[in-house]
Amino acid sequence: MRLKRFAALAAVSVLAFGAAACGGEDPGTTPTTSKFEAGTTMEKLSTAGKITIGTKFDQPGFGLKGLDGKPAGFDVEIGKIIAAELGISADKINWIATPSAVREEVLEKGDADVVIATYTINDKRKQRIDFAGPYYVAGQHLMVRSDDSSITGPDSFKDGAKKVCSVQGSTPATNIEKFLKDKATQLVLFDVYTKCVDALKNKQVDAVTTDNVILLGYVSQSNGAYKLTGSKFTDEPYGIGVKKGDAKFRAFINDLLEKIYADGRYAKAWTDTAGKFDANVPTGPAVNRY
Amino acid sequence: MDVLIDNADVFVSGFWLTLQLCVLSATGALLIGTIVAAMRISPVPSLRWAGATYVTLVRNLPLTIVFFLTSFGLPELGSNADFLRVPGLSSVFDRLGIDLPYFRFAVIALSVYTAAFVCEAIRSGVNAVPAGQAEAARSLGLTFRQNLLSIVLPQAWRAAIVPLGSVIIAMIKNSALAGAFGVTGELFSSGQNLTSSGGNPIIPVFIGISIGYLIMTVPLGIFIDRVENRRAVAR
Amino acid sequence: MSHEPLIVLDAVNKWFGDLHVLRDVNLTVERGEVVVVIGPSGSGKSTLCRAVNRLETINSGSIRFDGKELPAEGRALAKLRSEVGMVFQSFNLFAHKSILDNVTLAPIKVRGESKASARARGMQLLERVGIANQANKLPAQLSGGQQQRAAIARALAMQPKAMLFDEPTSALDPEMVGEVLDVMTSLAKEGMTMIVVTHEMGFARAAADRVVFMADGQLVEQAPPAEFFGDPKSERARDFLSKVLSH
Ligand SMILES: Nc1ncnc2c1ncn2[C@@H]1O[C@H](COP(=O)(O)OP(=O)(O)OP(=O)(O)O)[C@@H](O)[C@H]1O
Ligand SMILES: [Mg+2]
Repeated sequence: MRLKRFAALAAVSVLAFGAAACGGEDPGTTPTTSKFEAGTTMEKLSTAGKITIGTKFDQPGFGLKGLDGKPAGFDVEIGKIIAAELGISADKINWIATPSAVREEVLEKGDADVVIATYTINDKRKQRIDFAGPYYVAGQHLMVRSDDSSITGPDSFKDGAKKVCSVQGSTPATNIEKFLKDKATQLVLFDVYTKCVDALKNKQVDAVTTDNVILLGYVSQSNGAYKLTGSKFTDEPYGIGVKKGDAKFRAFINDLLEKIYADGRYAKAWTDTAGKFDANVPTGPAVNRY
Repeated sequence: MDVLIDNADVFVSGFWLTLQLCVLSATGALLIGTIVAAMRISPVPSLRWAGATYVTLVRNLPLTIVFFLTSFGLPELGSNADFLRVPGLSSVFDRLGIDLPYFRFAVIALSVYTAAFVCEAIRSGVNAVPAGQAEAARSLGLTFRQNLLSIVLPQAWRAAIVPLGSVIIAMIKNSALAGAFGVTGELFSSGQNLTSSGGNPIIPVFIGISIGYLIMTVPLGIFIDRVENRRAVAR
Repeated sequence: MSHEPLIVLDAVNKWFGDLHVLRDVNLTVERGEVVVVIGPSGSGKSTLCRAVNRLETINSGSIRFDGKELPAEGRALAKLRSEVGMVFQSFNLFAHKSILDNVTLAPIKVRGESKASARARGMQLLERVGIANQANKLPAQLSGGQQQRAAIARALAMQPKAMLFDEPTSALDPEMVGEVLDVMTSLAKEGMTMIVVTHEMGFARAAADRVVFMADGQLVEQAPPAEFFGDPKSERARDFLSKVLSH
């Protein structure tokens, strides 16, 4: 065991020395414009002048594929900011769709350089990949009919009159239960959220609850029929996935996030995209440099 | 197995709700199914046609679609199935009387869907009654209705009891779908909640759910066997 | 009461698909008359009998009962049927009801008679056909002869204006034929109007006012029994008689 680890270390140092030696021998082959440390992912990407970013293609407000075939949304804007920082223009970004189930895999296989896809940070995922950020804290929220001002937050269910809908077996369904007086008369569970939205439309229920990001999608498609109400009452931190062990790239993204929180690019990214359905510009959450 | 003991209340209340759903739906299915069967064997061509159309349509649709039609079609038509809020019944079957209509929708979906199979089971029972029985009743001046109620159906029931038992057992199992259509706390979805959001191990939870269904279906099967044996002896 | 004969068939035709089962059948049955229909298998005897209470519909011609055209359907038809008793080859007693319930069912349901009165009359009828002691048994517990007598009692319970018998003894063991024919003979003597399809030539000779011979859906010949059996006019009747009587 110990022997193996020593061997691996040796191999890495040989590689590192070798790369340095190459750079020394022939400085003309690397663009002198690169401001990144040699051998880092940043250097590699900026040298190549292109980047592959995974995002959702079906999440309005965050990553939704448009008629031009390119995705748009808050996650996409964050992706463009990272690319720009690497000196890569938006049209040199290769967007790939990363639905929830494949996100770890594309990073592990190197099919994407970075994944920004409503990607909740948790320990299980950290065993396979690393997260920069969080850059946004999603959370459970309530969606109501736009003409309904009687629900202001989860406490509005405590008197037992209002009814709320979610999906069976989901965390949001469990979370809302403690705000209800009588589960049997107040909670409706379906297998998918679209049924909840239908029930909301038909007034069988007064609210739909789940992550605000999912709800924002329905608000965006509703032509003003629905709105979010109150503020979110749980925390789901979204991170930016990078390959496991790429600490330098992670630090680079974290630095960048702090920079754009301060210089207004973060706020602009929000207002240009998800902000159309939720005008409250989020404050950039403190990044977690673990 | 601790999961079963720790969450006994979840299983018991899930079982109780599913049992209520099944008792009501079975009653509805038997009623509607008998009426449709009567239509299918009636001398009036338009009734026969309507009965056959009902069976063809309902029997050949996936149950999910029937659930969809009741849970989202009825509200679209402005109905919350309030006609099922029968005062006396609601005191036993408490979900029947609440504002949320999904329990009532589920009762309708299961009844309407199962009725098509009940109809065919009864019709096969009717076919097992010798034609001479109905003919003798007709020759005595009984109307179609009297004939059906006093002569044909009482004998058809006996021949239909075994297929009817299978139909109702299938319905009990089908009731698991109600959880996906807003019937919160029904046995199957209660179990799913315990595993997917409660983080409990899958195997013991699903053993618990299975026990719940078996408590309903096995005695029914035994009862049907008994009736069948008694009938065989009487013949 | 009309003065027309009780049953009048006029140019009746009936097809089963391509099969022409009744061909221009004309037949009248007077009140109190006993008509025995005989003929080879498949000649249309049962169909004729069943057409009279519209268990079979006809394709053309007319059938009148008690001065009125047979109603097509509904309550009027049910009423007509309640006035015409029918006895089947296979008894067709209601299998799930006791003998007495078989007899009282129609008076109670169709005529609205009280239970008590229907049961009293029912018991009298069972007495008359000789099976009063079987009243509370189920049909399956009775012998064939007893069942057929119960079926006759059931038909009589509606106090019909006429009785139709479609081979009432064909399904019986030989030793039971007599008991059923005895009941039918006594009915005939009491003046019941009857159409009887049968192969029992003895009954035809003894009880019939008229014998009707059918072949291939046609009424070939009709005559009083003595004349018919003594001197059949048609070749087909002679042929038929020589076959049945030689046994
Ligand atoms: N429901 C039916 N459908 C088609 N054909 C029929 C039907 N009933 C009777 N037939 C046919 O019509 C013809 C006359 O039948 P019917 O029963 O009246 O004859 P039958 O004289 O009573 O004969 P049997 O002595 O055998 O009882 C037969 O060829 C028979 O096969
Ligand atoms: Mg016949």
